[in-house]
Amino acid sequence: MPERSRLAIPITRGRQFVSLVGLTAVETARQPICLLLAICCVVLTALGPLLLLHQFGEEGKLARDTGLALHFVFGLFLAVYASSSALNREMNSGTAAAVLSKPVGRAPFFLAKFGGVTLVMAVFSIAAATATLLSERVSEKFEQTGKVVGYVTDWQTGFLMLAAPAAACLTAGWINWRWRRPFTSVALGLLLVLLLGVLWLGCWFDRAGHLVGFSPRFAWRILPASLLVALALVVLCAFTLTLSTRLSIVPTLVLGGAIFVGGLLSDYYFGRTAANSVIAALAYRLLPNWQHFWMADALDHEGCIPVEYLGCACGYALTYLAGLLGIGIALFEDAEVK
Amino acid sequence: MRDAAAIVELRGLVKVFRDFWRRQKVTAVDGLSLDIYPGEVFGLLGPNGSGKSTTIKIMLGLLHPSAGTVRVFGRPPQSVQAKEKIGYLPEESHLYQYLTARETLDFYGRLFNLGARQRHERIEQLLEMVGLAHAADRPVGEFSKGMARRIGLAQALINDPRLIILDEPTAGLDPIGCRQVKDIILQLARRGRAVLLSSHLLADVEDVCQRIAILYNGHVCAEGRVNDFTQSKEAICITLPALSPAQIEELLESIRQKVGAEPQVQHPRVSLEQCFLRVVQRAEAAALERSGAAAATKLAEYLQSGTASES
Repeated sequence: MPERSRLAIPITRGRQFVSLVGLTAVETARQPICLLLAICCVVLTALGPLLLLHQFGEEGKLARDTGLALHFVFGLFLAVYASSSALNREMNSGTAAAVLSKPVGRAPFFLAKFGGVTLVMAVFSIAAATATLLSERVSEKFEQTGKVVGYVTDWQTGFLMLAAPAAACLTAGWINWRWRRPFTSVALGLLLVLLLGVLWLGCWFDRAGHLVGFSPRFAWRILPASLLVALALVVLCAFTLTLSTRLSIVPTLVLGGAIFVGGLLSDYYFGRTAANSVIAALAYRLLPNWQHFWMADALDHEGCIPVEYLGCACGYALTYLAGLLGIGIALFEDAEVK
Repeated sequence: MRDAAAIVELRGLVKVFRDFWRRQKVTAVDGLSLDIYPGEVFGLLGPNGSGKSTTIKIMLGLLHPSAGTVRVFGRPPQSVQAKEKIGYLPEESHLYQYLTARETLDFYGRLFNLGARQRHERIEQLLEMVGLAHAADRPVGEFSKGMARRIGLAQALINDPRLIILDEPTAGLDPIGCRQVKDIILQLARRGRAVLLSSHLLADVEDVCQRIAILYNGHVCAEGRVNDFTQSKEAICITLPALSPAQIEELLESIRQKVGAEPQVQHPRVSLEQCFLRVVQRAEAAALERSGAAAATKLAEYLQSGTASES
């Protein structure tokens, strides 16, 4: 086979894969629940600093922990719903059969579903992480400068952060009226863009609202914690997607929830008895331990998450992903697509 | 057409559906064997539950056979190389609701790895052919059933397939649309494509198919040429121009004396479809306004390649 032909096949298959990933991402982003969960996460994160009355001895901690927790919880619902419906919905509606009747292999199709859902989870996670950064910035902090002595709340950033979801929806509505573009996916994209815009603006102003030149004064050490949460959500997506090759949406959601709870309690229920029980040891090793991805406490008192830990957690997540996606591909190869 | 090798070969095909506990639930296909050759329109008929759709899905690699062999273009049905030459219109138009007609065809064109320019050309030709050029930028979710069928047909032809599988292609279409789809099928067959047609509308099958197979309970009960099924060998029909009653009686008396049988006299019938089309053509000629799809009967230019042959 000529050299050019050897390269042409992977290139064309790659383009096909990208098309499938893009379509999955667009179809997922166009589900109203996706926008709803993202907006709820951002708004509740934004309201955190305004509603919390106690510092518990550390400024910004509750806003930070609340943001990360909301990222995890809302991300959990989004990951489980998006990944189960991405495959299930297509298999039930017949679009999976329509696509698989084309020259598309089952493995690329399955992986493209995962890729598309991961893309949407990435957009959600970036929005949630940005909201957490902004929320931590808004939270009340003690400042002592020539102009200010005492607790300062960054009202300007807080207002802009709360206005971002509203502005995203209004703008998406106008775009839908003017150009007939779908509301939900445009609003989701605009939400991310506007939040990043508020973050960028916040780099130019101090907490009192004075223009001070570009100075990115945010608690950037939150980002590794957000990345870990995002990794956990991606692993959960892979779990749910694998389950949905054989189960309908309700059993998939139930089992996905059970795996999440089991993984959260893995250390307590199985870790303690793993040395004495084969079943406990097996469960402890098979269930993903979500505690590895929850590092909010490591950020207390100006703490940081070491890069080495991030590397280990990424390796842990990638190992799970490889195993889960391999099982998912094997199950899907044998699945009947009606 | 029989000089060429069969495009589709099914031998002893069996499909058993099982329940969650792997117990046998229903045998949808039971020992089915048939061949489909290039350049022919093959009809797959049968009552509901006879195994037509199951057979089609096995041919496309969507379902796995319980027993038997399936070869499509000499390869297993799951083969990507085989699917590159197949166009499939499912019984229900399974389309992505949020994509426009143009985006839908573009997406399927990408799955066949068509280049951007080629995709664009084919999309415009197909939209024109199925009469949806005016609705190209509307989401498919807003389409009527007939319009969705038309887009379904267009996506089945985007890759200039050698084998076209159509499951109830005229469902939801108006009589004009039905006639246009049938004309397209005949033109494709003349260009050397093989068409597998599954339909409950026997008049449509009779119009376009050369060979049919009738399924019942998952196996072939009858197979052969349509003319062999429909032509009666026990009588003949002679068509004459209009005659006066006296001439008719003279002719009948001659037949009674020579043949010894009582002949029947009746006016030839024109199908209701032909009457309908004539009325619509007259209305179009009178330039009356018409809403909805208005397709050209001409095959898209890129589909006109291939050897034109007598069907």
